Amino acid sequence: MVDPMADAPLLDIKRMSLTYATQRGPVHALQDVSLAIPRGGAMGLVGESGSGKSSVVLAMLGLLGQGAETVCDSALFDGLDLRAAAETLRGRRIGVVFQDPAAALNPALTIGFQVAEPLVQHRGLSREAAFARAVELLGEMGIARAAQVARAYPHQLSGGMKQRAVIATALACEPELLLLDEPTTALDVTVEAQILDLLEELRRERGVSMLLVSHNLGIVDRLCDELTVLYAGRVVEQGACTELLGDPRHPYTRGLLAALPRVDRGKMGRLAPIPGGLPDLTRPIEGCNFEPRCAFAVAACALPQALRAADGRAVRCHRAEEIAGQPWPIPEAAADAVRPEKPLTLLRAEGLTRSFGHSSLLSRLSLKGLKPATDFKAVDGVSLTIGRGEVLGLVGESGCGKSTLGRLVLRLLRADSGTLHFEGKEIADEPPTAYRRRAQIVFQNPDSSLNPRQTVDEALRRPLIRFGLASGAEATKEVERLLDLVRLPPSYRQRYPHQMSGGEKQRIGIARALASRPDFLVCDEAVSALDVSVQAAVLNLLTDLRDELDVAYLFISHDIGVVAHIADRIAVMYRGAIVEEGPAREMLMPPYHPYTEALLSAVPVVGAHGRAASRIRLTGDVSSAPGTIGCRFAHRCPRHLGATCDTVEPPVRKFGEGHRIACHLTPDELKAMPPALAAE
Amino acid sequence: MRIPRTLIVGGLVVGAICLLAAIGPWIVPFEPDAFSVRERLLPPSAEHWFGTDEFGRDVFSRVLAGAHHSLLMGFGATALSLAIGVPLGMIAAFRRGWTEEVIMRGVDLMISIPPVLLGLLILAVTDPGLMKTMIAVGLVYVPIMTRVSRAVALGLLAEDFVEAARARGEGAFHILAREILPNAWPPLIVETALRITFAILLGSALSFLGLGPQPPDSEWGLMIAESRPFISEAPWIGLAPGLCLCLLLISVNIVGEGLRDLLDPRLRGRGHG
Repeated sequence: MVDPMADAPLLDIKRMSLTYATQRGPVHALQDVSLAIPRGGAMGLVGESGSGKSSVVLAMLGLLGQGAETVCDSALFDGLDLRAAAETLRGRRIGVVFQDPAAALNPALTIGFQVAEPLVQHRGLSREAAFARAVELLGEMGIARAAQVARAYPHQLSGGMKQRAVIATALACEPELLLLDEPTTALDVTVEAQILDLLEELRRERGVSMLLVSHNLGIVDRLCDELTVLYAGRVVEQGACTELLGDPRHPYTRGLLAALPRVDRGKMGRLAPIPGGLPDLTRPIEGCNFEPRCAFAVAACALPQALRAADGRAVRCHRAEEIAGQPWPIPEAAADAVRPEKPLTLLRAEGLTRSFGHSSLLSRLSLKGLKPATDFKAVDGVSLTIGRGEVLGLVGESGCGKSTLGRLVLRLLRADSGTLHFEGKEIADEPPTAYRRRAQIVFQNPDSSLNPRQTVDEALRRPLIRFGLASGAEATKEVERLLDLVRLPPSYRQRYPHQMSGGEKQRIGIARALASRPDFLVCDEAVSALDVSVQAAVLNLLTDLRDELDVAYLFISHDIGVVAHIADRIAVMYRGAIVEEGPAREMLMPPYHPYTEALLSAVPVVGAHGRAASRIRLTGDVSSAPGTIGCRFAHRCPRHLGATCDTVEPPVRKFGEGHRIACHLTPDELKAMPPALAAE
Repeated sequence: MRIPRTLIVGGLVVGAICLLAAIGPWIVPFEPDAFSVRERLLPPSAEHWFGTDEFGRDVFSRVLAGAHHSLLMGFGATALSLAIGVPLGMIAAFRRGWTEEVIMRGVDLMISIPPVLLGLLILAVTDPGLMKTMIAVGLVYVPIMTRVSRAVALGLLAEDFVEAARARGEGAFHILAREILPNAWPPLIVETALRITFAILLGSALSFLGLGPQPPDSEWGLMIAESRPFISEAPWIGLAPGLCLCLLLISVNIVGEGLRDLLDPRLRGRGHG
């Protein structure tokens, strides 16, 4: 018998609009969003924060709160009206995975109980049968010792394991559609690669359809066949994933791709930021809502734009064909600095070590049968040098000690041992004011880095007064100069943090760090919290400032693409030690440290489908670590040699100009590695 | 920012009581401690609104004249606990280590003694009087203020703008006074407003036990204590100051809750992402 529904898409949403009632009036979060996912298909949904991606997911599940109103022509799931049936479908035929696995799991219940719960609720299984099935499910998700994990509580598992458990929960009732809302954003890149492999396998073997919401184009490219680009609640482009990313037609999609630092391209001059921010969604815009930020805008853009479909692609831009050949404009560099090949050494750290223990006196007590808690070495004997005006990129996964290292070189944390020299002078544990003035820091989170009760003027004036650089009217002029330096108008002096966007706050954070005219900046994940279009602008700014002011950066990031873009030299850190260090160009090609190789091959890169076959996958994660003798990476190393790796500290192998790798593999073996970034 | 209606109503009542307490001694219809043997234990009437007590004194006049004692007790004691507790809590949060252990274990010790007992203990070693009661009540509430301000400061000290201040080499005073305190006051104000109620109540309780202002001064707690023998004969003597105390406590509490609604960002309207 032929199923008449076989050709109909599994999920078919036509012209869905959504408004939230707020105190400032209705917010038009979604406008006429249509999308269809065929059986077994995977649709990606991308856009910057605030574009309405998550609203689509919540609307489909019928999980929008009060004050939200949806209107749509039709919303069908397998022929059923989603609007009426969402409550009975979710958890049964539609599974959901949210961003943060730590928040999605109840800390007071065991993993097995939580995976089994939907089976008890929806399938009417007995507790015992459901638990047995949960153990099976966990095993299918690639969790070793599933029976043991099922009896564990969420805090006993690592982030990747938790996300596997969440996916197991979502799959418990064998749904036909899986909604994934930024499923890997909270995870490290090597763990992310594992989860993406798992999702790919689920699609292949079970034929589960997927809707993947993400801001990361690389992930979407790996997993999806179709792509919808959302901007401020409107679909601006829709089509097959590979074609769309290979040949983007809407200016917004093109802007997003141009703003993306690409690890496969290395250092590539300047990125193309998209100026401005999202429009005010309380005011309906008749014409193109991207027009104010668009580099190709003309007068006719004020007219309503229809989503025009042609040969499987849909674009909401009347100039799409006209501008096809023109690249997204890249702003001119402020100054074209020629960098000396070998810069003078500015900062030299040797053997920096810092461990964290338990500060409370009670936990230090050694009672009968209770061992006192052992200390954890966050940074273990790290040495590094940074030249004047040089950018040293520091890459590593969360918990590898990179932020601690950044604070150690600033003497914001007391080192247990090791020395620090700045311009040849030793810097003590309590550094002199002169060092504080010359070494500053830029933080990750723009919301936390500014005091919410201080205006921009107060925040920027304080370092000037503190270091006796300027006061009174002179300081006012200096504040305006600093604002100009970070490309903000003088009127921003009177603003409070809540009156600025994330990118603007980050600029103020940079201006504050630059106020004392430092020679050295620690940028601790300085662009990680920003959207890609804003990130490009801040990265350009940092590059310009380095050229204008000859400031050296220690640029800490988990994103190897960003680091490859900005850094002159890169250091890779793993469990408290630098495992590889060298010039940025050489770091992206073999020889690699096995960990660098794994990091590079784990990075999802846009337009690199063929890469999947040669991928190196790490098992486990940083926390699954045994003792501290031997190579720190031995427990996860795919090129593990045997007992030597576990027991003997690896030798440092030298290649070319300052390229060092700490590994037991011979130099020839290291050189023979295949390039991790090449497509096949 | 929309001001909650509870805050307006509560604020008006507290304001009115404060005004009456301030001008009370000058607007009393009768001398508060004038004896009148012929007018003993009269029920409330047009002349004596709250009746008279066993010495023929006008209860309304005595309630008015005694109001400032209760208010001083509440506000003065709370101000004192704030003045001692907040710096202690901030220092504990900032210094950590031994300093924190000493301060916080001391605070734990004080918290473990029931408030009335602690007040009694402090007053036992001194002569009773309004000022001393106030100080005793204030000291009783120091531990709670210390704990609250330490918790608030610990949260704020983890923020990056504090780290930025450290990176400038700022001293402890600058960090605590300029970076932490301006952000700490909303939760502290709320705690203070709610704490005033307890201070007034404890002050009255100590007065009731004879450890507050001494006769013939009038104080609400003391008046309730003195009315006890006449509870069946002339209930108005105790009822009048009791109800006034109730009104004051409830309205101060409402102000505290209103402030919490106003200052707690979690209760403010938020948009969707």
